[in-house]
Parts: sequence; structure tokens; C-alpha cells
Amino acid sequence: MTTDFVAETRRASVRSMVFRFQSLFGLVAVFVAAIVFSPSRDGELLFLTSDNLFNVVRAVSEIGIIAVGMTFVILIGGIDLSVGAMLGLAAVGSAVLLVENDFGLVPAVLVVLAVGLGFGLLQGVASAVFGIQAFIVTLAGLQIARGLARIWSGGQGVAIAYGEGPGEAPIAFSLLGERTFNGLVPIPALIFVVVAVLAVLFLRGTAFSRHVYAIGGNEKAARLSGVPVTRVKIVVFGICGLLAALAGIIHAGQLNQGSPNDGLGYELDAIAAVVVGGTSLAGGRGSVVGTVAGALLLGVLNNILALNSVDTNVQLLIKGLVIVVAAGLQRLRPS
Amino acid sequence: MDNGVASLVGLVRISKSYGGVRACREVDLTVRAGEVHALLGENGAGKSTLMRVLSGDLTDYTGTITVGDRPVRFHGPADAQRAGIAMIHQELDLVPGLSVAENIFLGREPRTRLRTLDRRAMLRETRTLLRRTGIDLDPRRQVGELRTGEQQLVSIAKALSLDAKVLIMDEPTSALSSAEVDRMFTVIAELRRAGAGIVYISHRMDEIGRIADRATVLRNGCVVAEFDARDMTADQAAEAMIGRPVRAMFTTHETADTGEQLLEVRDLVVPRSRPGRRDPAGISLTVRRGEIVGLAGLLGSGRTELLETLFGAGGRRRGSVIFKGRPVRPRGPRSAIRLGMVYMPEDRRISGLALDHSVLANTVLSVVDRIARLGVVSRRREAGAATRIVRDLSVKLASVRDPVSALSGGNQQKVVLGRMLLTEPDLLLLDEPTRGVDVGAKAEIYHLLGQAAQRGMGVLLASSELAELVGVCDRVIVLRGGRDVAELRTEQAGEADLLAASMGEVVPL
Amino acid sequence: MRFLVAVLVLGSVVACGTTSENRSAGPATGAACKGAGGKYVIGMSQANVAEPYRQRMDDDIRAAAKAVPQFEVRFTDAQQDNSRQVADVENFLTQQVDLLIISPNEAKPLTGVVKKAFDKGVPVIVLDRKVEGDAYTTWIGADNVEIGRQAGKYVAEQLLPNGGKVAEIRGLAGSTPARERGDGFRESIRGRRIEIVVSQDGDWLREKGQEKADAILKSTPDIQVIYAHNDPMAEGAYLAARAAGRQDALKFIGIDGLPIPSGGLKAVEAGRLSATLIYPTAGREAIESARRILLDCQQVPKTQTLQTQLITKDNAAQVYAKENPGG
Repeated sequence: MTTDFVAETRRASVRSMVFRFQSLFGLVAVFVAAIVFSPSRDGELLFLTSDNLFNVVRAVSEIGIIAVGMTFVILIGGIDLSVGAMLGLAAVGSAVLLVENDFGLVPAVLVVLAVGLGFGLLQGVASAVFGIQAFIVTLAGLQIARGLARIWSGGQGVAIAYGEGPGEAPIAFSLLGERTFNGLVPIPALIFVVVAVLAVLFLRGTAFSRHVYAIGGNEKAARLSGVPVTRVKIVVFGICGLLAALAGIIHAGQLNQGSPNDGLGYELDAIAAVVVGGTSLAGGRGSVVGTVAGALLLGVLNNILALNSVDTNVQLLIKGLVIVVAAGLQRLRPS
Repeated sequence: MDNGVASLVGLVRISKSYGGVRACREVDLTVRAGEVHALLGENGAGKSTLMRVLSGDLTDYTGTITVGDRPVRFHGPADAQRAGIAMIHQELDLVPGLSVAENIFLGREPRTRLRTLDRRAMLRETRTLLRRTGIDLDPRRQVGELRTGEQQLVSIAKALSLDAKVLIMDEPTSALSSAEVDRMFTVIAELRRAGAGIVYISHRMDEIGRIADRATVLRNGCVVAEFDARDMTADQAAEAMIGRPVRAMFTTHETADTGEQLLEVRDLVVPRSRPGRRDPAGISLTVRRGEIVGLAGLLGSGRTELLETLFGAGGRRRGSVIFKGRPVRPRGPRSAIRLGMVYMPEDRRISGLALDHSVLANTVLSVVDRIARLGVVSRRREAGAATRIVRDLSVKLASVRDPVSALSGGNQQKVVLGRMLLTEPDLLLLDEPTRGVDVGAKAEIYHLLGQAAQRGMGVLLASSELAELVGVCDRVIVLRGGRDVAELRTEQAGEADLLAASMGEVVPL
Repeated sequence: MRFLVAVLVLGSVVACGTTSENRSAGPATGAACKGAGGKYVIGMSQANVAEPYRQRMDDDIRAAAKAVPQFEVRFTDAQQDNSRQVADVENFLTQQVDLLIISPNEAKPLTGVVKKAFDKGVPVIVLDRKVEGDAYTTWIGADNVEIGRQAGKYVAEQLLPNGGKVAEIRGLAGSTPARERGDGFRESIRGRRIEIVVSQDGDWLREKGQEKADAILKSTPDIQVIYAHNDPMAEGAYLAARAAGRQDALKFIGIDGLPIPSGGLKAVEAGRLSATLIYPTAGREAIESARRILLDCQQVPKTQTLQTQLITKDNAAQVYAKENPGG
């Protein structure tokens, strides 16, 4: 009896695996296509050069980190439109604190992360406690975060110069922009990987994650089953804000500047990565693995289109099609 | 065709598969003018599939549908409606944001000569239809504000407006009070006199005996028996449905007058009741350990609201609730569960289960943070807990990783029950635990409730099925207008007494 | 909660990393030169083609490159996003382009990647906006202070010789061209009894220009000239004045003078604007420099400042025709 049960269980998992990891298969497919279509020089495939591959990961790291946070929010059936603006606010915050207020590296990073966390928690309170729809709360949050970023920066980009003196940021901060770990892996890519791994483990194995999925699956049932719905929702928005702020710090470090216009439209790129990753916008279904694969898929796609010098406008069409196809595939999965 | 009565619609050798699963196999069925044809079978026997084929909802079947002896092929519900076939679904297909009148005429709104919406005609005709259905409703009210029973009657009115020759009703009475059921049966009798044919799906034997002319029983997608409904006994039908003799429907447990007092509610009032709710307006009752106490009352008598209030999911209350010897005031479901109460909501689809999540996830949800150590859940312990309870309740499933939606209604309800029992509660608050559940599973659920009581839990069971209350409960408390108006011991009282007490005289709001 | 802690810890790990500077010296541009016999791929990284000025820059480069059979130019559009432009340049480096032309979205964020290209030995031509430092081959652009000066001079000498009141509609607050165009203008009206009575930010946008001009016409109805930092805002101001029935009483000046149907040249020709000052796109000059670097193996000056030209009704049609030969 027991063995039957286990065998059945396993068979069921195999069946749903293809769909559960739809985006991983998609990523592999796009990766193979990228190799096939890669331009080459001196017999070397340009796409496969380690420089290029790390560029891809580095280029998706900010969107990827945001998308991980967005996955949590979408899993509870919410949405967070404020993440792009939060990235801008965090980038500005990092620049101002480091350059104008002469904060040390650690205090500046902690303050900015706290701002992101606090902002997210407040949005969570507005949504979970006062029952305002997440779309509206975070639409307002987007405006507020942009406004704060403009005020904090004085309306213009704050350049980050490095050095020991006053008005200069600690040189360590420039690691984000120029340095690589091991001489190869860009630091932002490394942070993205660490965030992703933590999030995957977190969403797999914690009671909190079970609550997250349950809320997305049926909020009312979750509440009646004793899930602390309000608290979970608030924390989820907090996580999303925190990760957006982390992405903002990286953004400032990579570009040596914090500008209030940074991260414009990033929320949509992040949502696209989540959706391509197979997470349902209705909530309750999806995974961080999928999101990471989705972000990488879009990144590889961007890269291979650019390496082949496909017209930017055509690139937009192709990306749009990929998103629609990915969403369409979800409808095929067994329910 | 035979015995001279015109066949309105015939199904000939209809088969339909979902993936590899055959839901219907070569089913033959005729509906004659002026008859009520009951369609019986456990959940999953293929009744709904067959009716979805007939109503044009499913189009990839094999076999033939004939309308008035001419073979037809429907390409959608609209085709079927044109052929005079209408279906009232179990899941109500009404738009909550529209008014009653707008819902009834959705997609075929009456027009004035200027092609604008003829509101007046729409309201007038809606009033006539509602009167025929026997409900007193303002046609301008939003459907979302109505109670489930009222919504059900609105969808019946909608079906009437189609002037259908064949009307399919899928459990039309599941949310109706006895009085409303009576009125609906009058409507059905009227339709029958007018020459319509009605396919009537229900789990309630008493209803079928009252109104059906013929009965067809499906099991595993095949027709297994046909009866003249007027001579059919409930046991015969049940036996045909489950394929073996039924054991006693209501397993009796030792009545436990002597158990210690578990719950005492005194003068429970929710002072600021929201519109559309019948919150407690002064309720007192007690539940002992080992006792199953019923809550009877018509739709809108406040049964659901009482359970919600006790569970901390209703409004702010006044009055005292003493649970396990101490006054309690749960702030919400979470704290109620910690105290030792659990609640099974009325509609498992809407508020009981995440349907596309696995049985495992749904079962352990209430205890997942207890299973976890430092916030981390052991997958083994989680699966172990789910597997154990699923076996204890003999839930029929292939794998605990299957989605709950793959289970039949009765097994879904057992998953909810399993989730409750895993918390090791003292008090079960149940709202219509057997609605939409087939006969076999019903008996099993009663049996499980009896077991729970035997082990010292208290059960408070709200139901609109009088037979259930009389058969399962030790005592029944009758609610009317948010107050407790009577308490009956089921050793002495029967269904008729309960009904009389529920109706009572009209209590002013 | 443990997750939050983990992220915080992660943040501080990043913060505590060590650093080692690794700056290499700039290369000689001659390395890229293979002479007239070679084939060359040029990458053109545009900040945002949604701006007509930058679209025209791309068009000018495309047109000029057509005349050089050895050149193949690839275009990217960063859609106003610094990060995207960094990635665009990196992709060009992966493609191993022979020369990079970049019209940066902003100076600071692109300095790093431009330096990376330059350090790899790729000649870099920077257009319009500058990058910081000196890790590029040549910068080609116009002098916005000078353009502002010329605008001021035109107002002082032609429109308001006896002095008067001017309203200014400025570009995006904080942007360098907005500051420079404003400063130059003020420089040349100094001491001429001309007063800027009101100054508002129009963010370079036509609709903003209209909105601000609406407000200005109500608050200070006695102005005589509206000086806008670009043509679209000047056109917006004209629309606002026309709605108030005052289009003939006021004079409008813009900047950019794009030779496209919706551009300033046509607006001057039609009489809506009194004048505009050409802000050259440097597209043609960029290809000329690329030819000198790649084909002729010559050095080019580090800074190439292009001259502006005052456009009035007298020369608008003629300049338009010259900029659009055959069309």
C-alpha cells in the first residue's frame, strides 16, 4: 500500500514537472537557439564567450532581483507596480547618503534597505489591513517613490565619485560597477544568484511559503484555515520592497550615479519575467526557479537579438510574442 | 416514441472522455413531454457530463442527440437554447455586479423601437417571471447582494424566461429552504402541465419521490437502472447508485448527555450587523463533549452567521461564550483554531479549498506552522501527516499531490474535514457539510462525525436537510431571525416538528 | 524573517568587499586602422530615438555611411535607460565592432563602459552629451552656451531693440543643455534693458511648453517674446498663444532647427516661430571622423565643436532644402 502510494505520487510529479519547469525548458530552448544563431568571429561563437555570458547575467541581475520579490507578491495574488520607482529611490538614496551625507558603506546600504523594506511594509498594510487593491496601492506607491526620489536628489542625477575624502563614496562601492569576483563573475550577478538561491530555498521549505501559496490559491479558505493572512501579505510586500531597494543599490553602483528617473518601467520587465517563468497572475501557482529562468530567458533573448543587430523595434515585437506564448502555454497545463 | 408520448429529446449512445477517463459510455436517455425525469448517481457518475453534452456545453462527444426525432449537433449552448434546451447549472452562472433583471435578460435585452434598452419592459417581465418562481424580490437589486438560495431562484427564473421545451436542473434545491423548495416544485408542476420535459438531478431522495415520474441511475458513466420514480424506494435507488446495499445511513453514536460542558453561548448578539447578513440577535446554546448538536432554520435564519461569529470570522459580538470552562473571544480564525475550534464553511469551492492546489497542501494548511521547526517544514513529516489523515478518512485519491479539483465532492469535503481534524480540535463547527455530496460519501461523513463525537469532541452542525439533522444530531436548535426559538431532542421530535419550528410565525426584522 | 536577515547580511557582505584599482592606459587609436582596403563594422549606440533630434542623428549617420562602402553601421536604441545603453555597448564589444559611436543618455553612468571600450582599443566617438574623463577618441557636438548667446543676441538686436519682457520655457530641470542654453541667453541680454520676467520648466516637451505658456500668458500678459529651449516647446507656446488669440502680438524663438517636416525649420518657414538656432546632430561629422580614423589612419581632434546657425524666415526654406537633398 505504502509503495503504491509513493509510486503514484512520483508519477504525478513527473507528469506535472514539464509544466512546473516550463520556463526552464524554454530557457534551454532559447539558449540553444542563441548558440545556433550566434554570430562568430575567428571560429569562436560570440554568444558563448564567457565575457558575453556574464554580461547577460549581469544585465538581468537587477530585473532578476526585483522579479524574485515580485514573484512573492504575485503568488499571493497581488502585484507591485512600485518596484521600478523604488529602485530609483534606492539608487538616489545610495548616491546621496554616500556622496552628500558621507555615510559609510554599511550604514548607507542598511538605511536604503530599511527604506525599501519600510516602504514595502507600508504598502502591505494599505493593501492587507485597509483592503485597498494592490494594483492601486502600488500605483500610488510608484508615484510617491518617484516623488521622494526627485525630492531627495534635488531633481537630478547624483553622480558618485570615489575616494577617501568628503563628498566621495568609499571605493568599495565601485565593486558593484567594475569589479568581478574571481576576475570573471560580475558582483551584481553574484548577488542575484545568492538572492535567487535563498528565495528558492525559502519558498520550498518554510511554513511561511505554504501560507503564501495558500493565500494565492484561495484567500478566504486560507483565512478560515488559520493562516495569518494579513501578516503574511504585509511581509510579502516588505520583501518585495526590500529586494527592489537592493536592486537600486546595485543600480547606483553599476552606473556610478543615482537618478530619480532610474528604473523607469522596470516593474513591467519584472512582471514579464515572472509571467514567462510560469507564475500565474491569479496567484497561488509558480516558483522562483521559474522566475529566474524567465529573467534569464528574456536576458538571453535580448542578448542574441542584439548580437545579431536586430532592429530595436523588431526586438520589442519578438519579446512581446515570447511573453504571449509563455502565457499561452500556461493555459495548457493540467489543472 | 413508445407509449404514445412525444419524445422531446433523445440521447443515443452518447460517450464522452476526458483524456483517458471515460465519463460517459454509450448512454441512452429520452426526455418526454410533460415528464420530470430524475437523473441519479454518485458524484462522478457522469450526470453533469451528460447534461453538459445535452446543453451544448461539451461538443466533442460521440453518439447522437435527437430533437423531435431529428438528429442534431450542437456547437455551443446557444445552439441548444435555440433548440429549446436550457440548463440551470450547479455553479450559478450569474453576474454578481448586475441586477436581477439584467442577469435574466443578459445578451437578449428587450429593445425599444429606437433600439435602446427597454428598461421598463425588462423590469415588467422580470417581475412576472419572479412571481412565477415564487420569490418576492426587487428586480433592480444586485445579484451579488442576494443569498445563495435567492440566486438559485433567480437562475431558475432566467431559465423560465427562455421558454425552454427541455429544462435541465442540476441540484436546484441545494441552497433552498423547504418553503422555497415547495414553491419551486409548484413551478415545476406548472411547467410539466404545459408540456415541458424536465431533467432533474438531485441527491435528495425525498424530492425525487415527490416530483419525478421516471428515474435513470448512472454509475461509472453507464446507465445501470431505470425506475418508475413513483414506486422507487430510496434504498433501491441508493443501491443502484453505489452498486451494493447501503449500510445504515446514519450511524448512531452513544448519546452523551453526561459529557462535560464544552461550549456555552449566552445572549450572543452582533450589534452592528451589516446589510445582507442575519447576524446573531440573541442566541443561547450549549454543546457538550461527545454531543452532536444541530442548527436548523430556514435560509436567512442566521445559521451561517452564528458559526462565523463563534469562529471569530463574523462581526464584533456581545454576550458571553464560554469554551472549555473559560470565557473566550477569538480575534479571528487563527486564534479560534488555537483555542480548539475549527470551522467548515458552507461552500467548499469558495471558502474551503484552493482547488488547484494539491490535496497535501490543502490538508496540512492549518498545521503547517506546527509541523515546521524554526519555520522550516519537513517534507517527510508534512506528507506523513497528510497521508495519515487521508487514510483515516478513507479519501479516495491517486496521490496526495493531485489537485483537490480531481476529487469528487464528497472526497473534497473529507479533505476539509481532514484539515480540521489535524489541528486536534475540541469543537467542530460545520456548515452544510454534505451539500452536493453523494449518498455514499454522505454516510461516510456522518460516520466520521459520529467517531469524532465518540472521541470527546463536540459538534455543532448547521444544515437545511431535516432528515440529516434528525438522523445525526442528539439535539437540534432551531434558529429564526437570528434568535434561537426552539430546542428539540431528536429522540422525540421528527422532521415535521423541526419544519414547524423553523417556519413559526413571521418574526419582524 | 530569517530570510530578511539573510538579505541584510548579504547586503553587508557586498558592502565590505575589498577593492583593487586596475586602470590601464588609453590605447593609440591607430591600432584599429586597417586602411581603405578593410571592412569595418561601426556600432552606434543611441540613447533614445523617441526624441526627433536623436532619430535625425541616426538618419544622418545612416545617410553619411552609405557613401562609405567599407562601413557597416549597426544601431541600438537604449530607450532612455542608462542600464540598457551599457548593455548595448557591451554587446557591441562582444560583436567586436571596429569603432563605437555613442550618443550617451547621461554622462556619469556611461563613462565606465565607454572607457572599457576605449581601453580595449576600440576608437570611440562621443556625440552631443559628453562622458567624464578622457577615455574616448573624440567628442563632437555643439556649444549650448554659444547657442544661448546667439538666441539672446537675436532677441536683443532684432526682436526687442528697445528692451522688453521675455518669458523663458526651460528644458528638463537639472539637465546640462537646459542650464547652458539659459546661461548663454542671459549673458548676451545683460545690460540691454531686456528682462526675463518669468521662467518655467517645460521638460523639453511640446505639451509641457503649451501648458506652461498657458499659465504664463495669464499671470504675466505683458510679455513680448517667449524663448523656449527647444522647438517643440516653442511650438507648444505658440499653440497656447493662438488659443488666447495673441499669436501675432508675441514672438517665439526655439532651438534645434531639425530639418524634418515636424521640425523647427518648417515652423520658422511657416512663420509660427520667428527664429530657431540649429543644433547640429553631428551625424555626418561622426562618419567623417570615423573615415579619418579607420580608412586614413589619421588622428582627429579630441574636441570638435560644431557651429550653430541662426534660422529666420529668410533662410529657413533654403537650409531645409540643403539638409534634405533630393527630398
